[in-house]
Amino acid sequence: MGLTGTHVGCEQGACGACTVLADGEAVRSCLMLAVQAEGMQLTTIEGMGAPGRLWDLQAAFLRHRAFQCGFCTPGFLASAAEILGSGRRYSREELRDLLSGNVCRCTGYEPIVEAVFECQ
Amino acid sequence: MKPPPFEYHRPAVLEEALEFMAEHGDQAKPLAGGQSLIPLLAMRLVRPSHVVDLHRVAELRQISVADGRLRIGAMARQRDLEHDPRMPGLVRAAIPHIGHFQIRNRGTVGGSLCHMDPAAEWPAVALALDAVMVAASVRGRRELAADDFMLGPQLTGLEPDELLVEVIVPVRDEGFGFAEVTRRGVGDFALVGAACQANAVAVFGTGPRAQRLTAVEDFLDSGGGTRAEVLALAATEIQATDDLHTSSRYRREVAARLVGAVVAASRTPGGLP
Repeated sequence: MGLTGTHVGCEQGACGACTVLADGEAVRSCLMLAVQAEGMQLTTIEGMGAPGRLWDLQAAFLRHRAFQCGFCTPGFLASAAEILGSGRRYSREELRDLLSGNVCRCTGYEPIVEAVFECQ
Repeated sequence: MKPPPFEYHRPAVLEEALEFMAEHGDQAKPLAGGQSLIPLLAMRLVRPSHVVDLHRVAELRQISVADGRLRIGAMARQRDLEHDPRMPGLVRAAIPHIGHFQIRNRGTVGGSLCHMDPAAEWPAVALALDAVMVAASVRGRRELAADDFMLGPQLTGLEPDELLVEVIVPVRDEGFGFAEVTRRGVGDFALVGAACQANAVAVFGTGPRAQRLTAVEDFLDSGGGTRAEVLALAATEIQATDDLHTSSRYRREVAARLVGAVVAASRTPGGLP
């Protein structure tokens, strides 16, 4: 399908770079066999916003400089999609915990947490 | 790395799965949530000829209450149990500590109990709840007490042709406590942890498998004592090992403190120390 936005990281479920939405729930795509996705609705980064029509969180990521190399970013957005989709307002501390399943080597996490916090 | 070659099977009903296990069980691995098995496959630590995906077997996801016993299907997802009001307080306290929410969206109670990671929460919870595991095969069903089911890392009392189909816990409204220590906060594997339900106490992360602390339980049954006494007794009973994450001394000392904390919590409303 040529959708290269979802990234291969640890292939063990720990880093979160591969996170996508399956039926609206954030999952590790590295821990699902492709055949298991049959019948499910999958959303990857390519399905979140579009150039010129960014999703709120993508715009917030830009404003807060919440990505540098961008390798972890699609995974963070997928995880945040479920968090924001809950409709609940979390504290920054709680968001830090919720986002701890996605690893970033560049940003130090603060701008990511701020961007998600702002979009609640 | 990528998984070694295997044949993939997706039975539609339990009968079909059991028939397959009768034929090929010794060369097959059941696939539940995949959160533990797929990493093992990716690292080639297991090389089954067959992988039997149980996701289509709806019967394994059922949860029911009958005769004061809560019957939890082995394929019930952690995320579903976390928010199910029928679950005992101890279960709902422990589940948020299982990995990250992305893991809990796929991971299952049966998968956790069969994988038997030494740092897993469910084995200790199962011990503290006096859980019973139901094993099924073409030969019929049998029940195993948690202590007999859980043998060691990735080792259970299941026969090669059996599947874990249900976890049964008694419905009792009792005080509970749960605590674990991790390096980084929620999400990481536990270094050590403790679970308590009434006078039942178990620790995990201390050794190859979760350990029930019968001496501590006897002490509580006979009236108990101070938190310091519980802690001291736990410290002598806990069997702790060294590994690359931390020392046996750390495990023993911290786990003993957690035992003191969860026992105290079980005696107070809310259950969390």
